[in-house]
Amino acid sequence: MDTVTDTTAAHARDDEHWLREYAREHVPHLLVIALFAVYPPIYGLLLRTPLSAEANAFLPGTTFLIAMLFLGLFAMSFDFISGYTGYLSFGHAAFYGVGAYFIVLVANGDVPGIPAGTPFVITMIVGGLLAFGLALAIGAVSFRLSGVYFAMITLGFAQVAYELVRNWNYVAVNPQDGPTLSGPTPEIGIPYVDSVSIALGRLAGDSFENVLGLGIDISATLTSYYAIGAVVLLSYFAMQRLIHSPFGRVMIAIRENEERAAAIGYNVFWYKMVAFGFSAFFAAIAGALFAAFSRGASPDETFYFLVTADALIVTIVGGIGTLAGPFFGTAFYEWLEDILSSEQGGLAPYLRGILPDGVLTADIAGITIADLINTVVDGRAPLFLGIVFVLFVLFVPNGLLGSVRDRLGNTVGKYVGGRLERYRR
Amino acid sequence: MIGFGSSLAVFVDAPLLVDAFGRFFQPDTLARLLVEGLGKAAIYFIIAVGLTLVFGLMGVLNFAHGAFAMLGAYIGGVLLVVGISSTTGSGVRILLFIAVAAVIFALLTAFGSALEVGLVRPIYDRTPMYQILLTFGVGLILEETARILTSARGIQPEPTWTAAASTIPAVLDARYSILGANIRGFYLFAIAAGALVAVAVWAFLTRTLYGLYIRAGSEDAEMVEALGIDVRKAFTIVFGLGTGLAAVGGVFLIWDPTYGPSVLLNIDVLLYAFVVVVIGGLGSFKGTLAAAVIVGVTDSLTTWLFNTGIVPFPGLSEVTIFLLLVITLVIRPQGLYGIEEVGGH
Repeated sequence: MDTVTDTTAAHARDDEHWLREYAREHVPHLLVIALFAVYPPIYGLLLRTPLSAEANAFLPGTTFLIAMLFLGLFAMSFDFISGYTGYLSFGHAAFYGVGAYFIVLVANGDVPGIPAGTPFVITMIVGGLLAFGLALAIGAVSFRLSGVYFAMITLGFAQVAYELVRNWNYVAVNPQDGPTLSGPTPEIGIPYVDSVSIALGRLAGDSFENVLGLGIDISATLTSYYAIGAVVLLSYFAMQRLIHSPFGRVMIAIRENEERAAAIGYNVFWYKMVAFGFSAFFAAIAGALFAAFSRGASPDETFYFLVTADALIVTIVGGIGTLAGPFFGTAFYEWLEDILSSEQGGLAPYLRGILPDGVLTADIAGITIADLINTVVDGRAPLFLGIVFVLFVLFVPNGLLGSVRDRLGNTVGKYVGGRLERYRR
Repeated sequence: MIGFGSSLAVFVDAPLLVDAFGRFFQPDTLARLLVEGLGKAAIYFIIAVGLTLVFGLMGVLNFAHGAFAMLGAYIGGVLLVVGISSTTGSGVRILLFIAVAAVIFALLTAFGSALEVGLVRPIYDRTPMYQILLTFGVGLILEETARILTSARGIQPEPTWTAAASTIPAVLDARYSILGANIRGFYLFAIAAGALVAVAVWAFLTRTLYGLYIRAGSEDAEMVEALGIDVRKAFTIVFGLGTGLAAVGGVFLIWDPTYGPSVLLNIDVLLYAFVVVVIGGLGSFKGTLAAAVIVGVTDSLTTWLFNTGIVPFPGLSEVTIFLLLVITLVIRPQGLYGIEEVGGH
C-alpha cells in the first residue's frame, strides 16, 4: 500500500548532514504536536470572546481531548498489528483492559507481590509487559490461523477475558461496574522523584497557577492532558521507529505476501508474534492512561468487543496501514462525539439556545423541533459515525491519511521534507 | 481486601457441591436441561443458518447479522403489541405470532436483498476485511436507529422491552410435565419452529434449482458463472434469505425468557451466531445444525451449573461458549463440517 520510496528530493544532496534531513522529515510531526500543545489555551481564549457559544458547541473540549489521546494511542496500537501485518486483531480490547485493570488493581493493593504505593509509571510498564506476555500466549495458538479465522479466535479470547473479569468479584465489589481506583493519584514522571512527577485526574490532579509568571493558569485537567500527551507521543515515536526499522519492513512484507516473506527466509511466525506483543504493550499503556485519568475501569469500557470495534472504525476513517492515521481518526471521532453530546458544550444546547422559542416548540406531525434535537442530535455520535464509516469503506477505503499519501505519492513526512529541501535552495 | 485463597474458597462450597451434583444427575433435571438446550439451539440455528449460507456462497462474514435479528425482534414486537390485547386468547396469539414471523421474513428478505445490491455488491472484489467493516457499519447504523426510534417512543432501548415480551400466551409461558421433567412451553414451540426451518432450508438447498446454484456457487462461483448462471442473482437471494431468517430468529427472541427485544441483541446475537457457525464450519449447513445443538445444550447445562450452586460464577456459561469457539479453532480450524483448506495455511 505505502511502500516508501527513498528517492525524494531530500536525498539529492548526499553531502548534507543526515540529522538535518531527519529533522526536515519531522516537520509535519512538529506541526501536529504544536497544534495539540497550543490548542487548549486558544480554546480557553475563544471561550472568552463573543464567539464563545460557537466555540463551545463546535470545538472539542478538554475532556474529549484527553480521550482523543489515550483512545488514539489504542487505535494506533491496533493498527500496528492489523494495518501493518494484515492480521485483524479483533480481541485487542483485552490488552487495553489488562493495562487498565492492572494499574487499578495495583493501586488498590490487590495484586500480590506488588505494593500499592508502586509508582504509576512502573506499574504502567509492568502492565504493558504483562500484555506483551499475554499476546505471546494468545498469538502462539492464534497465528496458526489467518484471515477471518484469526479475527474470530482473538475475538473469542477477548470475550472469555471479558466474561471472566465481568463476573469475578475479586477485582471489584461489583465486577459488572468494575473497580475504582482508591489508592494515591497516579503520577506521570520519573518514579520516586516527586518534583518531576505530575499527578493525573480531573479533581485530584496537579494544577499550576501563573506559569512562568505569564499569567497563564493550567488546570488539573489540562495538566493531565499534557502529561498523557507526552506518554502518547513517546509511544507513537517508539511504534514509528519500529515500523521504519528492518523489523517493520518484514511486518509489511508479511502483509503484502506472507509466503514470499517466508520463502526469503524470514521466520514469519516470530515476527508476527513479536509485532503482536508490541501492539499489545502499547494497547496496555493506553488502557493504563485511561484508567489513571478516569480513576477506574469497567469491563464494558475496556475488555468489551465494541472497544475493539471503535478502534477499528477510527483506524479505517484515519487510514489503515498508516500509523498516525488512527490517531486522526480518533480525533475526528471524539470531535464528532463532543459536538453531538451535551457533556461539554455541543450542538444540542447550542441549537436550543440560539433558536427562538417559536421554532423550538413548532409542531411537525406531533413532534416539536426541541424533541427532534433531543432525540436525533443529542448523544447520537455513533449513528453519524456509523454513516461516515460506511461511506469511508465504500468511497475512501484508504482513509484520511492513506488518501493524502496516495495523492502525495509518499509519506507526508518525506513529502514535506522534500518540499522544504527544494525551497531552501 | 481478601486474598486469592479466601476468595477462591467462596467459589466452591463442598456440601453444596455434592448436593448440586446429586440434583444434576436426577433424570428430570437432565431431561429439562436437554430440552431447554434444544429450544435454545433451535433459535440459534434459525439465526445462524443465514450467516453460514452467506459466508459459504460469497465469503462475506456478515457483521450486520445480529442487527437483522434485532430489527426482527423490534418490528415483531411492535406488531405483537398492536395486535394483542390482554384479552386475546393463546391460540390467536400463536397464530398472530406465526403471521408476524411470515410478514417479517418477507420484509427483511426484501431489505436484505436491497442492501446486498446497494452496498455489498460494489465491494466483492476487495479483501474480506472491507466486507466485515461495511456490514459492521450497517449494523451500527441499524442499532443506533433502533435506539433513536425506541427512545423517541418512550421505550427503554435496553435492557428489554417488557411490553413486547409479555405478549407471550399463557400456554407457552406455562411449564409442562413431560416424562417427569418440568419444561416451559416456549421451548417446545421453538424446537418445532427450528425443525421446520431446518427442513425448509434443507429442502430449498437440495430440492430446488436455486438451491443447486447456491450449493454449486459455494463450491466454485467462477465455474457456475462460466456455465451461464447469473451467480450474482443467487448472491442477492441468499443475502436476502439470510437476513429474513435472522429476523425470524429475532421474532422468536421476543418470547424467549432470557432475551426479549433490546438493542443489545445486535452484539449478543452476533457473537453467539459466530460461535455457532465457526464451530460448525463456516459455510456448512449440516455443521451449523450440529453446532447449534452443541452450543444450545452447553449453554443450558452450564447456565444451570454455574447459577445453581456448584460454582456460583454466572459468567462461566458465556466463558464456556467462547472457550468452545477458541478450542474448535485451535483443534479443527475448519469446524466440524467445514472445508479443509479454509482457515489455516
